Amino acid sequence: MNRRIALRHLALISGGLIMIPSCDFSKEDILAAYQNLNITQSQKNLLAAVSDTIIPAGEIKGALDLEVADFILVMVNDCFTKENQGKFSTGLAAFPEYVKSTAGKNFDALSAKEKEGIILSGAKLEGDDTEEGKKNGAISYFLNSAKRFTIQGYMASEYIQTEVIPYSLIPGEYNGAVLITDLQKPRVNG
Amino acid sequence: MANLNLKSKQDRTYQAIVIGSGISGSWAAKELCDLGVKTLMIERGRNVEHGKDYPTTNMLPYEFEHRGQIPQAIQDENPVISRCYAFREDAMHFFVKDTEHPYVQEKPFDWIRGYQVGGKSLLWARQVQRWSDFDFEGPARDGFAVDWPIRYKDIEKWYSHVEKFAGVSGFRDGIDTLPDGEFLPGYELNVVEKYFAEQLKKQYGGDRHMISARCAHIHGNAEQFAAQGRTLCQNRQLCQRGCPFGGYFSSNSSTIPWALKTGNLTLRPDAVVHSIIYDEEKGKATGVRIVDRLTKETEEFYADVIFLNAAAINTNLVLLNSTSTRFPNGLGNDSGLLGKYVAFHNYRAGVSAQYEGHSEYTTSGGRPTSGYFPRFRNVYKQETDFLRGYAAGFSASRGARSNSDGIGMELKNNLLNPDQYGLWSVGSHMMGETIPKESNYVALDPSLKDEWGIPQLKISVDYDDNDEKMVKDYIEQMSEMFTKAGFINIQTRDDHRAPGLDIHEMGGVRMGRDPKTSMLNANHQLHAVPNVYVTDGASMTSTSTQNPSLTYMAFAARAAHHAVAESKK
Repeated sequence: MNRRIALRHLALISGGLIMIPSCDFSKEDILAAYQNLNITQSQKNLLAAVSDTIIPAGEIKGALDLEVADFILVMVNDCFTKENQGKFSTGLAAFPEYVKSTAGKNFDALSAKEKEGIILSGAKLEGDDTEEGKKNGAISYFLNSAKRFTIQGYMASEYIQTEVIPYSLIPGEYNGAVLITDLQKPRVNG
Repeated sequence: MANLNLKSKQDRTYQAIVIGSGISGSWAAKELCDLGVKTLMIERGRNVEHGKDYPTTNMLPYEFEHRGQIPQAIQDENPVISRCYAFREDAMHFFVKDTEHPYVQEKPFDWIRGYQVGGKSLLWARQVQRWSDFDFEGPARDGFAVDWPIRYKDIEKWYSHVEKFAGVSGFRDGIDTLPDGEFLPGYELNVVEKYFAEQLKKQYGGDRHMISARCAHIHGNAEQFAAQGRTLCQNRQLCQRGCPFGGYFSSNSSTIPWALKTGNLTLRPDAVVHSIIYDEEKGKATGVRIVDRLTKETEEFYADVIFLNAAAINTNLVLLNSTSTRFPNGLGNDSGLLGKYVAFHNYRAGVSAQYEGHSEYTTSGGRPTSGYFPRFRNVYKQETDFLRGYAAGFSASRGARSNSDGIGMELKNNLLNPDQYGLWSVGSHMMGETIPKESNYVALDPSLKDEWGIPQLKISVDYDDNDEKMVKDYIEQMSEMFTKAGFINIQTRDDHRAPGLDIHEMGGVRMGRDPKTSMLNANHQLHAVPNVYVTDGASMTSTSTQNPSLTYMAFAARAAHHAVAESKK
């Protein structure tokens, strides 16, 4: 944990990226903060764009504003098995090509509606044992994991839990028979 | 130098030594100190001071890097502790990791430990149901283990004594199998739990009960706990982090600070007990040899009376490793029974379901307890093809959830406005009595040692046919009760978990009437070394079905008063 915070701080000071130098200079460098994953900055940017499509900004901040992409990568890096880390990384790496072949454009160039559509369809891809099938399975695994962690990282963020739906450490005395009709709360408009 | 040693021996001499600072050890120390006995309490782990050393207690969900989850690398390295329900990011620092104190599993056994001042009293589930004579008379009636040398009347006033100080919330339910105690106001069951309790009364002619579980929380009235610096439970349900309010009983919030305030307690953390010293000439135990956890240096402390409360399995280890010419097989082990007849609670099975009724209701706030089924099997007479029976936990819950389908603004608005109530969920888990057997034992490994040069324990404990039958019966009976109550979508599980994960391991140093068939007498003294008392789970002759901690507290208090009375003779 300390190592990652140190790396983040260093990244801030150096104005962006900390790279592990790679021998192949034609390739983009790997982000060192997620040491179990081979993730580049442009992949992280893509993940951030995916998370922001899943929960966009509106009257209330969205996933991009809350840097949920970092949370997703921390969880995948620290809490996934090696095998699932591999599937996630493979899916993330294969996603741009899937977008291009399906929509004919890069993810960034799509409209908000098109972005939603491609994530929904990608999340439903079914895998099999063929090369293509493995890739499809990984894409859907990546997108479903990204959605799950986007929701978790967003809802359990400081912003949501202090400014939108305040979390209480003291929940109050138990009431075991509350009429649901007595609980009408003003609707939060995202 | 010789003089220095003499002086230092004097400095290291007390009237009593208590080994272990968990629930039973802290109760022994508190009672001894209240009675004016200069007491040394030895704890193998680090100090944890109430209020000061609860680093996560007020942390908010988003302050946990993994939102509570244990990272995969830690789980991979520590598979045993990772199976414990409470081993989460917020309380990880209060559990012993597999790598920190290895042991040999001749058969799979999940040994869950908390090595710090306060031990597992910081982590326990705080359920405190009394035993009755249906429990104490079990072995004699059903012909297993040996007869308990005590009965309910011997322990009744000590239950009251510890309940008043620890703080126990509950209702006076008037049930034969679960005597009422000194209760603070109880926690009401919720509307579906009450419905289920009524259904049971109707369907089973008053033979089966489901009540609000008695729990060691201060509820309704905190006045009598002000002197301990404790106040009302705030329903935070974050107990495993350590409670800044002292809302539930822990050694850290209650008995240890109380004992320290008497001026009679010396606390020695970071002291791993190697053995109890036996003086062949005097024919009694004279002290305790420890290894400093950090420096690995050996040190000795001396006292007239020694309380061994290291938690069931480690209490066995200390006695097994306390060898002398007189006791080559472990202190007080003339019978050869030490380490044998270990038992536990069978938590393997659970039944869950849904309920369509009471759909206009939900719940609000928090509570630290839920429902409890006292044992109803084989109580008044033997009625099944297995011995004894099981208690069970029960709870019903319903809360607003978000619909997390979809994507974009629709998803966002759904998440921010949780309004999906669904049906009530109900669930139960069994807590079965297991029969102590000679073949379920702990012993010292002949070659492997731990970091402090102490032999590693090997543990050989398993289920038997009686347990299998009981699992089956619990699943059948609970399913039937759920069906009769109109619950739907009933799901049953038998997770085949290893023994130990119940964290109710008991025995190995059992009480009894006869030194040939037991280790301890009716006062918790080793038959052969009466100035050594064992009042933790190791002393249990049988396990019954109730969560055992309250009984250990009562045992410790009772034995401490006995020791003081003996010293005045």
